[in-house]
Amino acid sequence: MEPACRKDKPKLNSTPTRGDRAKQKSAQQEQKQRQRAEIYALNKVMTELEQQQFEAFCKQMQSQGE
Amino acid sequence: MTGPNATTSACSSAAKMGRQRSKSTSGSTYSNSKPGAESATLSTPNNAGRSSGEEDEKDGGVLFYVNRTGFPIEGVTWERMWTHVAKVHPDGQDIVRKIRNAAYLPKHPVPPVPNFKPSMSVPDWLLAIQNYMKTLQYNHTGTQFFEIRKTRPLCGLMETAREMIRESLPIKCLEAVILGIYLTNGLTSVERFPISFKTQFSGNHFHHVVLGVYCNGRYGTLGMSRRQDLMDKALTFRTLSELVLEFEDSYRRYQHTLKKVKIGLYVPHDPHIFQPIEWKYLVLNAARLGREDMRKELEKHGRDMRMKILKSSTAQSPIKERSRGKSLSPRRRQISPQRRHVHRRDKSPASLDRKPAELSTLNDGYQIRI
Repeated sequence: MEPACRKDKPKLNSTPTRGDRAKQKSAQQEQKQRQRAEIYALNKVMTELEQQQFEAFCKQMQSQGE
Repeated sequence: MTGPNATTSACSSAAKMGRQRSKSTSGSTYSNSKPGAESATLSTPNNAGRSSGEEDEKDGGVLFYVNRTGFPIEGVTWERMWTHVAKVHPDGQDIVRKIRNAAYLPKHPVPPVPNFKPSMSVPDWLLAIQNYMKTLQYNHTGTQFFEIRKTRPLCGLMETAREMIRESLPIKCLEAVILGIYLTNGLTSVERFPISFKTQFSGNHFHHVVLGVYCNGRYGTLGMSRRQDLMDKALTFRTLSELVLEFEDSYRRYQHTLKKVKIGLYVPHDPHIFQPIEWKYLVLNAARLGREDMRKELEKHGRDMRMKILKSSTAQSPIKERSRGKSLSPRRRQISPQRRHVHRRDKSPASLDRKPAELSTLNDGYQIRI
Protein backbone atom coordinates (compact mmCIF):
# COMPACT_ATOMS: atom_id res chain seq x y z
CA MET A 1 0.00 0.00 0.00
CA GLU A 2 1.27 3.40 -0.87
CA PRO A 3 1.95 5.52 2.20
CA ALA A 4 -0.03 8.39 0.61
CA CYS A 5 -3.04 6.21 0.02
CA ARG A 6 -2.97 4.66 3.36
CA LYS A 7 -5.84 5.85 5.38
CA ASP A 8 -5.05 6.89 8.86
CA LYS A 9 -6.42 4.33 11.12
CA PRO A 10 -8.74 5.90 13.68
CA LYS A 11 -7.58 5.68 17.27
CA LEU A 12 -9.63 2.93 18.81
CA ASN A 13 -8.58 3.66 22.34
CA SER A 14 -10.16 6.99 23.47
CA THR A 15 -9.11 6.80 27.11
CA PRO A 16 -6.84 9.60 28.25
CA THR A 17 -3.17 8.88 28.06
CA ARG A 18 -0.79 9.35 30.90
CA GLY A 19 0.27 12.60 29.31
CA ASP A 20 -3.33 13.83 29.15
CA ARG A 21 -3.87 13.00 32.78
CA ALA A 22 -0.72 14.81 33.80
CA LYS A 23 -1.80 17.87 31.81
CA GLN A 24 -5.24 17.76 33.37
CA LYS A 25 -3.77 17.49 36.84
CA SER A 26 -1.43 20.38 36.17
CA ALA A 27 -4.31 22.50 34.86
CA GLN A 28 -6.35 21.67 37.94
CA GLN A 29 -3.48 22.59 40.21
CA GLU A 30 -3.08 25.92 38.45
CA GLN A 31 -6.77 26.58 38.72
CA LYS A 32 -6.68 25.82 42.43
CA GLN A 33 -3.75 28.16 42.94
CA ARG A 34 -5.48 30.94 41.06
CA GLN A 35 -8.70 30.38 43.01
CA ARG A 36 -6.81 30.46 46.26
CA ALA A 37 -5.15 33.74 45.35
CA GLU A 38 -8.53 35.24 44.41
CA ILE A 39 -10.14 33.96 47.60
CA TYR A 40 -7.52 35.54 49.80
CA ALA A 41 -7.68 38.81 47.86
CA LEU A 42 -11.45 38.76 48.28
CA ASN A 43 -11.22 37.84 51.95
CA LYS A 44 -8.95 40.82 52.57
CA VAL A 45 -11.51 43.15 51.01
CA MET A 46 -14.44 41.61 52.87
CA THR A 47 -12.57 41.61 56.18
CA GLU A 48 -11.87 45.31 55.75
CA LEU A 49 -15.51 45.94 54.92
CA GLU A 50 -16.64 44.12 58.05
CA GLN A 51 -14.15 46.07 60.16
CA GLN A 52 -15.31 49.40 58.71
CA GLN A 53 -18.96 48.57 59.27
CA PHE A 54 -18.29 47.44 62.82
CA GLU A 55 -16.33 50.59 63.65
CA ALA A 56 -19.03 52.78 62.12
CA PHE A 57 -21.65 50.97 64.14
CA CYS A 58 -19.69 51.40 67.38
CA LYS A 59 -19.22 55.13 66.69
CA GLN A 60 -22.90 55.50 66.02
CA MET A 61 -23.72 53.74 69.27
CA GLN A 62 -21.34 55.97 71.18
CA SER A 63 -22.72 59.18 69.72
CA GLN A 64 -26.25 57.97 70.40
CA GLY A 65 -25.26 57.23 73.96
CA GLU A 66 -23.88 60.72 74.36
CA MET B 1 -19.71 32.28 63.50
CA THR B 2 -22.41 31.17 61.23
CA GLY B 3 -25.76 30.09 62.08
CA PRO B 4 -29.14 29.07 61.49
CA ASN B 5 -32.21 30.45 62.88
CA ALA B 6 -33.98 31.01 65.98
CA THR B 7 -37.54 30.15 66.41
CA THR B 8 -37.26 27.53 69.09
CA SER B 9 -40.42 26.72 70.89
CA ALA B 10 -39.60 27.52 74.47
CA CYS B 11 -40.29 24.82 76.98
CA SER B 12 -42.06 26.21 79.98
CA SER B 13 -41.68 23.28 82.33
CA ALA B 14 -39.37 23.25 85.32
CA ALA B 15 -35.78 22.11 85.16
CA LYS B 16 -35.68 18.47 84.21
CA MET B 17 -33.45 15.70 83.11
CA GLY B 18 -34.88 13.63 80.41
CA ARG B 19 -34.43 11.67 77.30
CA GLN B 20 -34.67 13.28 73.97
CA ARG B 21 -35.01 11.81 70.55
CA SER B 22 -31.90 12.44 68.57
CA LYS B 23 -32.22 15.09 65.95
CA SER B 24 -30.88 14.44 62.54
CA THR B 25 -29.23 17.77 62.27
CA SER B 26 -26.98 16.94 59.45
CA GLY B 27 -24.76 19.88 58.69
CA SER B 28 -27.28 21.64 60.75
CA THR B 29 -26.84 25.03 61.88
CA TYR B 30 -24.17 25.85 59.42
CA SER B 31 -25.15 24.41 56.13
CA ASN B 32 -27.79 22.53 54.33
CA SER B 33 -26.67 18.99 54.47
CA LYS B 34 -29.40 17.37 52.47
CA PRO B 35 -27.82 14.49 50.59
CA GLY B 36 -27.77 14.98 46.89
CA ALA B 37 -28.29 18.68 47.23
CA GLU B 38 -26.89 20.78 44.48
CA SER B 39 -23.26 21.58 44.76
CA ALA B 40 -23.70 25.11 45.94
CA THR B 41 -26.63 25.16 48.23
CA LEU B 42 -27.97 28.23 49.82
CA SER B 43 -28.56 27.84 53.52
CA THR B 44 -31.95 29.30 54.11
CA PRO B 45 -33.82 29.93 57.31
CA ASN B 46 -36.25 27.13 56.60
CA ASN B 47 -34.26 24.33 55.10
CA ALA B 48 -36.41 21.81 53.33
CA GLY B 49 -36.14 18.33 54.70
CA ARG B 50 -35.79 19.36 58.31
CA SER B 51 -38.03 17.44 60.60
CA SER B 52 -40.58 19.44 62.51
CA GLY B 53 -39.41 20.60 65.85
CA GLU B 54 -35.86 21.17 64.70
CA GLU B 55 -34.56 24.65 64.92
CA ASP B 56 -34.25 26.52 61.68
CA GLU B 57 -31.23 28.68 61.82
CA LYS B 58 -29.57 31.58 60.10
CA ASP B 59 -26.66 33.79 60.77
CA GLY B 60 -28.61 36.72 62.04
CA GLY B 61 -30.53 36.84 58.79
CA VAL B 62 -27.48 36.66 56.59
CA LEU B 63 -27.41 33.72 54.23
CA PHE B 64 -24.28 31.88 53.23
CA TYR B 65 -23.30 29.35 50.63
CA VAL B 66 -21.42 26.09 51.04
CA ASN B 67 -19.00 24.48 48.63
CA ARG B 68 -19.87 20.82 48.36
CA THR B 69 -17.88 19.70 45.36
CA GLY B 70 -14.32 19.88 46.52
CA PHE B 71 -11.46 21.59 44.76
CA PRO B 72 -10.90 23.28 42.43
CA ILE B 73 -14.25 24.91 43.15
CA GLU B 74 -16.57 24.19 40.27
CA GLY B 75 -18.22 26.81 38.11
CA VAL B 76 -21.65 27.17 39.68
CA THR B 77 -20.31 27.54 43.21
CA TRP B 78 -17.55 29.87 42.07
CA GLU B 79 -19.88 32.18 40.17
CA ARG B 80 -22.35 32.18 43.02
CA MET B 81 -19.63 33.34 45.40
CA TRP B 82 -18.87 36.33 43.22
CA THR B 83 -22.52 37.13 42.63
CA HIS B 84 -23.02 37.21 46.37
CA VAL B 85 -20.01 39.48 46.88
CA ALA B 86 -21.25 41.85 44.17
CA LYS B 87 -24.51 42.14 46.06
CA VAL B 88 -23.16 42.69 49.55
CA HIS B 89 -20.13 44.88 48.92
CA PRO B 90 -20.84 48.62 48.40
CA ASP B 91 -18.43 48.65 45.44
CA GLY B 92 -20.04 45.48 44.15
CA GLN B 93 -19.07 44.72 40.59
CA ASP B 94 -15.94 46.87 40.67
CA ILE B 95 -14.41 44.80 43.40
CA VAL B 96 -15.35 41.59 41.66
CA ARG B 97 -13.92 42.73 38.35
CA LYS B 98 -10.76 44.06 39.94
CA ILE B 99 -9.93 40.78 41.62
CA ARG B 100 -11.08 38.36 38.94
CA ASN B 101 -9.35 40.22 36.13
CA ALA B 102 -6.16 40.92 38.01
CA ALA B 103 -3.17 39.69 36.03
CA TYR B 104 -1.22 39.33 39.20
CA LEU B 105 -2.47 38.58 42.68
CA PRO B 106 -0.23 38.23 45.72
CA LYS B 107 0.26 34.66 46.72
CA HIS B 108 -0.93 34.01 50.26
CA PRO B 109 1.72 31.71 51.72
CA VAL B 110 0.60 28.25 52.78
CA PRO B 111 1.27 28.10 56.51
CA PRO B 112 3.21 25.07 57.70
CA VAL B 113 1.11 22.60 59.64
CA PRO B 114 2.07 22.75 63.31
CA ASN B 115 4.33 19.92 64.24
CA PHE B 116 4.10 18.66 67.79
CA LYS B 117 7.41 18.10 69.53
CA PRO B 118 7.59 16.22 72.85
CA SER B 119 9.44 19.18 74.33
CA MET B 120 6.40 21.43 73.76
CA SER B 121 4.09 22.17 76.64
CA VAL B 122 0.36 21.76 76.07
CA PRO B 123 -0.30 25.53 76.16
CA ASP B 124 2.45 26.04 73.57
CA TRP B 125 0.94 23.38 71.35
CA LEU B 126 -2.53 24.88 71.61
CA LEU B 127 -1.06 28.28 70.81
CA ALA B 128 0.65 26.83 67.74
CA ILE B 129 -2.65 25.34 66.58
CA GLN B 130 -4.53 28.57 67.17
CA ASN B 131 -1.89 30.59 65.33
CA TYR B 132 -2.15 28.17 62.43
CA MET B 133 -5.90 28.69 62.24
CA LYS B 134 -5.48 32.46 62.47
CA THR B 135 -3.06 32.33 59.56
CA LEU B 136 -5.71 30.56 57.50
CA GLN B 137 -7.94 33.54 58.43
CA TYR B 138 -11.59 33.84 59.24
CA ASN B 139 -13.70 33.41 56.14
CA HIS B 140 -15.58 36.61 55.33
CA THR B 141 -16.33 35.76 51.70
CA GLY B 142 -19.87 34.53 52.29
CA THR B 143 -19.11 31.07 50.91
CA GLN B 144 -18.02 28.32 53.24
CA PHE B 145 -15.38 26.28 51.46
CA PHE B 146 -15.57 23.05 53.45
CA GLU B 147 -18.78 21.21 54.07
CA ILE B 148 -19.21 20.06 57.64
CA ARG B 149 -22.03 17.73 58.46
CA LYS B 150 -22.23 17.48 62.21
CA THR B 151 -23.74 14.02 62.23
CA ARG B 152 -20.98 12.54 60.12
CA PRO B 153 -18.76 9.96 61.76
CA LEU B 154 -15.61 11.35 63.31
CA CYS B 155 -13.41 9.58 60.77
CA GLY B 156 -15.19 11.40 57.94
CA LEU B 157 -14.80 14.77 59.63
CA MET B 158 -11.10 14.08 60.15
CA GLU B 159 -10.82 13.55 56.41
CA THR B 160 -12.34 17.01 55.96
CA ALA B 161 -9.78 18.38 58.40
CA ARG B 162 -7.02 16.93 56.23
CA GLU B 163 -8.61 18.59 53.24
CA MET B 164 -8.64 21.93 55.09
CA ILE B 165 -4.91 21.58 55.66
CA ARG B 166 -4.28 20.54 52.07
CA GLU B 167 -6.28 23.36 50.50
CA SER B 168 -5.29 25.99 53.08
CA LEU B 169 -8.23 28.38 52.75
CA PRO B 170 -10.10 30.68 55.14
CA ILE B 171 -12.38 28.90 57.60
CA LYS B 172 -15.28 29.64 59.91
CA CYS B 173 -16.10 28.54 63.43
CA LEU B 174 -17.41 25.05 62.77
CA GLU B 175 -14.53 24.19 60.49
CA ALA B 176 -12.14 25.47 63.16
CA VAL B 177 -13.64 23.07 65.70
CA ILE B 178 -13.09 20.12 63.38
CA LEU B 179 -9.56 21.25 62.59
CA GLY B 180 -8.84 21.78 66.27
CA ILE B 181 -9.95 18.24 67.02
CA TYR B 182 -7.75 16.86 64.27
CA LEU B 183 -4.67 18.78 65.39
CA THR B 184 -5.08 17.78 69.04
CA ASN B 185 -5.71 14.11 68.31
CA GLY B 186 -3.24 11.88 70.06
CA LEU B 187 -2.44 14.36 72.81
CA THR B 188 -4.30 12.25 75.31
CA SER B 189 -3.71 14.59 78.23
CA VAL B 190 -5.97 17.09 76.44
CA GLU B 191 -9.70 16.48 76.33
CA ARG B 192 -11.75 18.26 73.68
CA PHE B 193 -15.45 18.97 73.62
CA PRO B 194 -17.68 21.32 71.62
CA ILE B 195 -19.28 24.39 73.20
CA SER B 196 -22.12 25.94 71.19
CA PHE B 197 -23.75 29.29 71.80
CA LYS B 198 -27.02 30.76 70.69
CA THR B 199 -27.32 34.49 71.20
CA GLN B 200 -29.64 37.29 70.30
CA PHE B 201 -28.82 40.68 68.87
CA SER B 202 -31.25 43.22 67.57
CA GLY B 203 -34.04 40.69 67.22
CA ASN B 204 -32.00 38.09 65.36
CA HIS B 205 -30.44 34.89 66.59
CA PHE B 206 -26.84 33.89 66.05
CA HIS B 207 -25.01 30.64 66.48
CA HIS B 208 -21.38 30.04 67.24
CA VAL B 209 -19.24 27.10 68.28
CA VAL B 210 -15.78 26.74 69.79
CA LEU B 211 -13.71 23.76 70.86
CA GLY B 212 -13.45 23.48 74.62
CA VAL B 213 -10.20 21.96 75.86
CA TYR B 214 -9.43 20.55 79.25
CA CYS B 215 -5.98 19.65 80.51
CA ASN B 216 -4.54 19.15 83.93
CA GLY B 217 -7.33 20.83 85.80
CA ARG B 218 -7.70 23.82 83.49
CA TYR B 219 -10.14 24.74 80.75
CA GLY B 220 -9.65 26.82 77.62
CA THR B 221 -10.86 26.97 74.02
CA LEU B 222 -9.69 26.92 70.45
CA GLY B 223 -11.74 28.47 67.69
CA MET B 224 -12.32 31.08 65.04
CA SER B 225 -14.65 34.05 65.08
CA ARG B 226 -14.99 37.53 63.69
CA ARG B 227 -14.41 38.72 67.27
CA GLN B 228 -11.09 38.16 69.02
CA ASP B 229 -12.59 37.47 72.41
CA LEU B 230 -15.04 34.87 71.18
CA MET B 231 -12.60 32.30 69.91
CA ASP B 232 -9.50 31.08 71.70
CA LYS B 233 -9.15 31.32 75.44
CA ALA B 234 -6.01 30.36 77.33
CA LEU B 235 -5.95 27.18 79.38
CA THR B 236 -6.39 29.10 82.61
CA PHE B 237 -9.99 28.61 83.66
CA ARG B 238 -10.40 26.46 86.74
CA THR B 239 -13.96 25.42 85.99
CA LEU B 240 -16.18 24.98 82.96
CA SER B 241 -18.59 27.57 84.36
CA GLU B 242 -15.84 30.19 84.57
CA LEU B 243 -15.05 29.56 80.92
CA VAL B 244 -18.64 29.74 79.73
CA LEU B 245 -19.40 32.81 81.81
CA GLU B 246 -16.33 34.46 80.34
CA PHE B 247 -17.88 33.91 76.92
CA GLU B 248 -21.13 35.37 78.17
CA ASP B 249 -19.28 38.48 79.33
CA SER B 250 -17.50 38.72 75.99
CA TYR B 251 -20.79 38.46 74.14
CA ARG B 252 -22.21 41.26 76.24
CA ARG B 253 -19.48 43.56 74.94
CA TYR B 254 -20.99 43.08 71.50
CA GLN B 255 -24.51 43.54 72.83
CA HIS B 256 -25.36 39.93 72.26
CA THR B 257 -27.57 38.27 74.86
CA LEU B 258 -26.79 34.66 75.56
CA LYS B 259 -29.83 32.49 75.01
CA LYS B 260 -28.55 28.93 75.03
CA VAL B 261 -25.33 27.09 75.71
CA LYS B 262 -24.79 23.53 74.54
CA ILE B 263 -21.92 21.50 75.87
CA GLY B 264 -20.93 18.28 74.16
CA LEU B 265 -19.00 15.29 75.36
CA TYR B 266 -15.29 14.61 75.12
CA VAL B 267 -14.29 13.73 71.58
CA PRO B 268 -12.36 10.46 71.37
CA HIS B 269 -8.74 10.71 70.27
CA ASP B 270 -9.00 7.87 67.81
CA PRO B 271 -9.49 9.57 64.42
CA HIS B 272 -10.75 6.40 62.79
CA ILE B 273 -13.84 5.69 64.82
CA PHE B 274 -17.23 5.75 63.21
CA GLN B 275 -18.97 7.44 66.12
CA PRO B 276 -20.23 10.98 65.49
CA ILE B 277 -19.33 13.88 67.78
CA GLU B 278 -21.78 14.47 70.60
CA TRP B 279 -22.48 18.19 70.16
CA LYS B 280 -25.11 18.88 72.74
CA TYR B 281 -25.19 16.62 75.75
CA LEU B 282 -26.03 19.47 78.10
CA VAL B 283 -28.32 22.23 76.89
CA LEU B 284 -28.72 25.25 79.12
CA ASN B 285 -31.41 27.82 78.56
CA ALA B 286 -29.47 30.85 79.70
CA ALA B 287 -32.46 33.09 79.24
CA ARG B 288 -34.28 31.27 82.02
CA LEU B 289 -31.52 30.06 84.29
CA GLY B 290 -29.89 32.46 86.64
CA ARG B 291 -26.13 32.82 86.61
CA GLU B 292 -25.84 30.71 89.75
CA ASP B 293 -27.96 27.89 88.36
CA MET B 294 -25.93 27.92 85.16
CA ARG B 295 -22.77 27.73 87.18
CA LYS B 296 -24.05 24.73 89.13
CA GLU B 297 -25.15 22.85 86.01
CA LEU B 298 -21.90 23.54 84.22
CA GLU B 299 -19.82 22.47 87.16
CA LYS B 300 -21.79 19.27 87.49
CA HIS B 301 -21.33 18.53 83.81
CA GLY B 302 -17.64 19.34 84.05
CA ARG B 303 -17.27 16.94 86.99
CA ASP B 304 -19.19 14.21 85.20
CA MET B 305 -17.05 14.62 82.11
CA ARG B 306 -13.85 14.50 84.13
CA MET B 307 -15.03 11.35 85.87
CA LYS B 308 -15.88 9.99 82.41
CA ILE B 309 -19.26 8.72 83.45
CA LEU B 310 -21.15 10.26 80.55
CA LYS B 311 -21.81 8.25 77.43
CA SER B 312 -22.71 9.46 74.01
CA SER B 313 -26.04 8.42 72.57
CA THR B 314 -24.26 6.47 69.88
CA ALA B 315 -21.89 4.57 72.16
CA GLN B 316 -23.11 1.00 72.19
CA SER B 317 -21.54 -2.33 73.00
CA PRO B 318 -21.09 -4.51 69.95
CA ILE B 319 -23.83 -7.07 69.42
CA LYS B 320 -22.68 -10.60 70.15
CA GLU B 321 -22.64 -13.10 67.33
CA ARG B 322 -25.37 -15.72 67.77
CA SER B 323 -24.71 -19.37 67.05
CA ARG B 324 -27.07 -21.21 64.81
CA GLY B 325 -29.70 -23.19 66.65
CA LYS B 326 -29.59 -21.20 69.83
CA SER B 327 -32.52 -19.07 70.74
CA LEU B 328 -31.87 -15.42 70.27
CA SER B 329 -32.16 -13.14 73.22
CA PRO B 330 -33.88 -9.83 72.55
CA ARG B 331 -31.74 -7.37 70.62
CA ARG B 332 -30.01 -4.92 72.91
CA ARG B 333 -32.15 -1.83 73.18
CA GLN B 334 -30.52 1.33 72.01
CA ILE B 335 -30.18 3.63 74.97
CA SER B 336 -31.52 7.04 74.16
CA PRO B 337 -29.17 9.84 74.99
CA GLN B 338 -29.40 11.05 78.51
CA ARG B 339 -29.38 14.58 77.29
CA ARG B 340 -30.13 17.25 79.74
CA HIS B 341 -32.11 20.31 78.95
CA VAL B 342 -31.98 22.56 81.91
CA HIS B 343 -34.23 25.51 82.43
CA ARG B 344 -36.20 26.74 85.38
CA ARG B 345 -39.78 27.90 85.36
CA ASP B 346 -39.63 31.61 85.08
CA LYS B 347 -41.83 32.87 87.88
CA SER B 348 -41.62 36.43 86.76
CA PRO B 349 -44.01 37.60 84.06
CA ALA B 350 -43.00 36.09 80.75
CA SER B 351 -40.39 38.21 79.11
CA LEU B 352 -40.98 38.70 75.45
CA ASP B 353 -38.21 38.65 72.94
CA ARG B 354 -38.66 42.24 72.11
CA LYS B 355 -36.57 43.69 69.37
CA PRO B 356 -34.73 46.59 70.95
CA ALA B 357 -35.93 49.45 68.83
CA GLU B 358 -32.99 51.64 69.72
CA LEU B 359 -30.53 49.18 68.20
CA SER B 360 -32.39 48.44 65.00
CA THR B 361 -32.87 52.10 64.13
CA LEU B 362 -29.23 52.92 64.59
CA ASN B 363 -27.47 50.72 62.20
CA ASP B 364 -28.96 50.63 58.68
CA GLY B 365 -29.22 46.87 58.87
CA TYR B 366 -25.71 46.12 60.14
CA GLN B 367 -25.67 43.21 62.56
CA ILE B 368 -22.79 42.51 64.89
CA ARG B 369 -22.11 38.99 63.75
CA ILE B 370 -19.86 36.70 65.68
